[in-house]
Amino acid sequence: MDFSSQEGDSEAPAVIDMTTSEKVVELLNQAALIPTDEKLNVLKQVQELIINKDPSLLDNFLDEIIAFQTDKSIEVKKFVIGFIEEACKRDNELLLRLIANLNMLLKDESVNVVKKAILTLTQLYKVTLQWLVRSKAVSEMQEACWDLVTQMKGDVLALLDSENDGVRTHAIKFTESLIITLSPRTADSDVPKRQEGDISLDKVPTDHSYIHYDELCQEGKTALEKLLKFMVHPAISSINLTTALGSLATIARQRPMFMSEVVQAYETLHANLPPTLAKSQVSSVRKNLKLHLVAVLKHPCSLEFHGQICTLLLDLGMPQSEITRSTPAPREQRKRPRQEQYTEGKKVKIESSSTLIEDDEDKEEPAPLSVPKPAAVPVAQSAIDLTAEFLHPLLTPENVANLVLISMVYLPDIMPASFQATYTPVESAGTDAQIKHLARLMATQMTAAGIGPGLEQCKARGEGAVKEENDDDAATKDLLIKRKVPAMMVGQAISVVGGYAEKASPEVPAAAVKRLPEPILPSAQTKMTGATGRKKVFRLPDIVQQLSDSQIENLTSKAVKRILHSEKPIAQSGMSHVRVKLLSRLVTQFDGMMKSDVLEFILDDIRTRSDLAFSLLYQEYNTYLSQLPSGLLDSYDHCLYTLLSGLQEKPEQRDGLFTKLVLEAPIITESALEVIRRYCEDESRVYLGMTTLKELIVKRPSRQFQYLHVLLDLSSHEKEKVRTTALAFLKRMYEKDQLRDYIEKFALNYLQLLVHPNPPSLLFGADKDTEVAAPWTEETVRQCLFLYLSLLPLNHRLVHELASVYTEAIADIKRSVLRAIEQPIRGMGMNSPELLLLVENCPKGAETLVTRCLHILTDKVPPSPELVERVRDLYHKRVPDVRFLIPVINGLEKNEVIQALPKLIKLNPIVVKEVFNRLLGTQHSEGSSSVSPLTPGDLLIALHNIDSTKCDMKSIIKATNLCFGEKNVYTSEVLAVVMQQLMEQNPLPMLLMRTVIQSLTMYPRLGGFVMNILSRLIVKQVWKYPKVWEGFVKCCQRTKPQSFSVLLQLPPAQLTSVFERCPEMRAPLLQHVHSFTPHQQAHIPGSIMAVLEANKKPEPKPAEPVVETEVTDQELQMEAAPAPSVVEETPKEPETIVEPEPVTQKDEEEPMEQEESEPAIQEETLNISQVESEVETPVPEPEPAEEPMEESQPEPSEQPEPEKDTEADVATKEAENTSEDVE
Amino acid sequence: MPSHPLRVAVVCSSNQNRSMEAHNILSKRGFDVRSFGTGSHVKLPGPAPDKPNVYDFKTTYEQMYNDLVRKDKELYTQNGILHMLDRNKRIKSKPERFQNCKDKFDLVITCEERVYDQVVEDLNSREQETLQPVHVINVDIQDNHEEATDHICELFEEACACTGGIQHTDDMENEIDELLQEFEDKSNRPFLHTVCFY
Repeated sequence: MDFSSQEGDSEAPAVIDMTTSEKVVELLNQAALIPTDEKLNVLKQVQELIINKDPSLLDNFLDEIIAFQTDKSIEVKKFVIGFIEEACKRDNELLLRLIANLNMLLKDESVNVVKKAILTLTQLYKVTLQWLVRSKAVSEMQEACWDLVTQMKGDVLALLDSENDGVRTHAIKFTESLIITLSPRTADSDVPKRQEGDISLDKVPTDHSYIHYDELCQEGKTALEKLLKFMVHPAISSINLTTALGSLATIARQRPMFMSEVVQAYETLHANLPPTLAKSQVSSVRKNLKLHLVAVLKHPCSLEFHGQICTLLLDLGMPQSEITRSTPAPREQRKRPRQEQYTEGKKVKIESSSTLIEDDEDKEEPAPLSVPKPAAVPVAQSAIDLTAEFLHPLLTPENVANLVLISMVYLPDIMPASFQATYTPVESAGTDAQIKHLARLMATQMTAAGIGPGLEQCKARGEGAVKEENDDDAATKDLLIKRKVPAMMVGQAISVVGGYAEKASPEVPAAAVKRLPEPILPSAQTKMTGATGRKKVFRLPDIVQQLSDSQIENLTSKAVKRILHSEKPIAQSGMSHVRVKLLSRLVTQFDGMMKSDVLEFILDDIRTRSDLAFSLLYQEYNTYLSQLPSGLLDSYDHCLYTLLSGLQEKPEQRDGLFTKLVLEAPIITESALEVIRRYCEDESRVYLGMTTLKELIVKRPSRQFQYLHVLLDLSSHEKEKVRTTALAFLKRMYEKDQLRDYIEKFALNYLQLLVHPNPPSLLFGADKDTEVAAPWTEETVRQCLFLYLSLLPLNHRLVHELASVYTEAIADIKRSVLRAIEQPIRGMGMNSPELLLLVENCPKGAETLVTRCLHILTDKVPPSPELVERVRDLYHKRVPDVRFLIPVINGLEKNEVIQALPKLIKLNPIVVKEVFNRLLGTQHSEGSSSVSPLTPGDLLIALHNIDSTKCDMKSIIKATNLCFGEKNVYTSEVLAVVMQQLMEQNPLPMLLMRTVIQSLTMYPRLGGFVMNILSRLIVKQVWKYPKVWEGFVKCCQRTKPQSFSVLLQLPPAQLTSVFERCPEMRAPLLQHVHSFTPHQQAHIPGSIMAVLEANKKPEPKPAEPVVETEVTDQELQMEAAPAPSVVEETPKEPETIVEPEPVTQKDEEEPMEQEESEPAIQEETLNISQVESEVETPVPEPEPAEEPMEESQPEPSEQPEPEKDTEADVATKEAENTSEDVE
Repeated sequence: MPSHPLRVAVVCSSNQNRSMEAHNILSKRGFDVRSFGTGSHVKLPGPAPDKPNVYDFKTTYEQMYNDLVRKDKELYTQNGILHMLDRNKRIKSKPERFQNCKDKFDLVITCEERVYDQVVEDLNSREQETLQPVHVINVDIQDNHEEATDHICELFEEACACTGGIQHTDDMENEIDELLQEFEDKSNRPFLHTVCFY
């Protein structure tokens, strides 16, 4: 019908039936404009009108309706399909026009439309066939129509391999219907009432001009084979399988001739449920199988297969009673089916399926066939039977047990869902029925796998069918079935027959049945494909051209680079994580330049690309893990190393990326650790590096000692900043129990190195290869001590280790050690029990160390009683070296000090000076709370009272001189008290007058007091003490005019002695007397006057005394030299007393004094060079020092003195002079 | 052939409790849903386990309600039967038997295996005509009104979410398998699933 006539046509019937036609036109006009839902309603009305109410209108409005097939709505399209079906059923002629439309819709892109089209074709195929069979003469149009229908049939069969599950389901149903249509209906056939009129092969004439009976028959069989093949695909979906099971049941019941194939298919399926099915699907399928088996069982033609069906049903868990109920009463005459069951076309007589089966059982040759094919399938049946029979006698319990044991090996790890669902305990094990069943089961499997005697025997018989079989196979082999096979289920695939079904031989129809459509996934099936060999499979390598290596490399690196540099666009699209993942995986999989490119790229801007860095690192590690145990860390190591060193080269980075990278790296390799070490050695990054290292130590306990070792190594680093930072970190870690031992051991090991005569090369690092002969230097010694000394204040017990090392070390090292320990010892404090213990024990050879410790402890603070106690013990009981007492001298009792004084003042002058400083309190600059056991006066008095047998006068004089040097301590008042006390002693101390003269020199205003002393000395008959007397005279001489009155108090004999000593005194004295008033003169005894006036004659003697006195004078002046300023100050002295200024002057003086006393203080300061001088004082010669101490000689340190100190020499000489003079 | 919405049937044994609950929920969600029973009679709990109240499928919910009120209002209020009937009569007038319904569905949900078997058997016993598929899915739900109303609701919520998933796909058949597998994994509850043809 062409478009131009449409209007006219629609108008024409309007005349006949105005209302219906008008209504249709109106409805169609509406339908064009309204939404889908209403449109469908309207169109259904139209359909009702033109098909049922007034079919005469059908032709007129056909095109208008069909035009809706281009509608966008799926539902409208489906309506059009439905309309086509109805219309064609109503008027077969319309097939000619509509079948092409259906063909179009069959290829629609919507699956729902396709499904509907398949359903319609299912119906129309039968309609078309029937229509054509009825037509006597077939027109060309009809031929073309049939050709198209045939083609569409092929297309739908091909849809069995559709990707869409629903489409496949529909295709199965189409196949079912096709098989039924293309096979003859027999008397045994169950025919649903509705389909009674349907066409089937038996209604097709064999002499039709265009429709060929044989072809159709063959097509039907091919379709069945296809369906059977489809069903045993291992990846079949559960719904497809369900559908196919149902279809087979329908086929078996409607076409009993196929009963054997169906039952066999059920058997095979039951034994080989697809492994891809989930557990619940297995139960669904089994339920279905049971249902359909029962349906088949009810069919009278199933009689031959009852044994098999019942076994299956039993296996499926159906009670025997129920099975019996479902079984129809057996036929009375078995032979009857052998008679003609149906008339094929006009004449042909063909065997029914039951005939064939009986043939098998009877081992008869099949009757000659008019149609060659039908024999093919039953042959397979016999193959199974033959094999089963062959197996039956072999299945002795022993053999079966062996089979079971052997197959145990092939069982999968996890019980497949299908097995779990299907397993039912074998109830009748060992009975003949059960053995038969088992034999049959095995035969099924073996035949399917292409082995067994049955197959061999059948080969000959099947030979004829081979050719066609193969051709058919070839036609279907290209088809790929793409099904969704959940990957996880593939693993469950097991084959019951160990060798898989690969040996399936194409000659055997049973194998052909078993042969599968092209699978997608399961490996077992691909093998099978390989075995058959002739299937054309799409193989990528066949069509791909090989690229050269360099091309490949080039393309790969370009591809990677593109991904690499598309950072921003990808970030904008929010898929950065994919890019990162992709890159890291690519790069780790393929070696070569890419890796360094990517690393370089990351390092260009590592802050924003850190995720890539991490991803790459993890990927590398992952690769390493996956290759364990043979995997190498090289690649990972390189990656980590490059990243870390790259970071190090970047100019500052505050964001802690380095730390993050180190801490999140799965493994820290040796070289990575080396980079971390470099960080630590870089002064600008030392803190960062060590913090990271610390984190590693804390957070990676498995290798913490390796990391810790690095830090320990750095603790003796040459750069101070590195070293101190490392020490600070180590000190903190030392508090952790699990690290403590290791650190301590390390420190002690280093300390232990000091006992070697030469520094071990380990101290110089690997790069500096030094000869062993290098001497210890201050530096190397300290290297060994850094860590130890920082730990010492934290763990005092370690001090004993030092002592033992110290005793063994050479002198140079000892000196260095003594210099280095100040801070830590001070840090320990004198209350440290361990330190006290050290003092108490004082190992041999460590005396100097102990002394040093004592000094360090006491030079800022007064000694604690405990310390004093220990030292006292040590001194009295073990090592009576008086030098031990010095540091704690202020803690001793007064008498102890006085007792020790003779020994003390014999020491090196500098030491004596220190002792005095301590005793006089001039040692501690300020705020010193130390209370000396001796007042300055006591000290001076004690010095005067030293037994001259215990100590030489020289030393005593030197010591008193030291006292006079402390002008601030020995004020005129103190001296006055001292003089007073000394004078009252009996006998008079030898040095009394020396002290008097010296005091007077220092403080001239003491003149009056001294006169008083002198007078009282006269009362004490001073002349009885020659030395004192000598000094008395000198004193008088020096205090000349004042002393005249004292001289006049002397008895005449003594006065004479005075004049004998200094004759020049007489004239002034005489003059003095003459200046007296007469009355006063009267008081002068005559004897005195006689002495004064007598001996006017010059005497030779006086010359001598003059010389003597002069000398003495000079010497006295020299003695006073230490305070020459004092003499000059004399005139000012009154001022200082009177005026307020002296206060300020005194203030000024104090700092001066401090400066003066500096030598002592400096000795105690931190400065190493000064410490040195101090250290050497008590340790004149490290080695010899031992002897005097051990032997406790009274003069332990006298000897070395002169050698050491020239100042001391001078002092000594001076002192000698003085003492000579005094004597 | 279905026009747009899926035609869903929910089936239990008496078309009272489980199927009606599902009917209620699904219709609230806009499904084209109907409910059925498969039993030969409608049975409701009676005063003792061996004395159920038995009605035929022609009896309306209203009549059952009145009958039970007459028999023992307190008992049937207390065990929730009256409440259930009250709900049911607001959904439809009387229970329907699946085997007697010749309408076609795309999806049949059953509430226990026995019902599933009956539905599948019935569908298979019908003569095939259009070959249009119908999916039958079984979700086991205990018929335990007193204890498990909440539980039922929850299960139906899940089932509906699943069917909702089916509803919203254009191509139910292709995805139903996967949806069921997913749901099965999630709910840890096995489903029976088959397809029949009209």
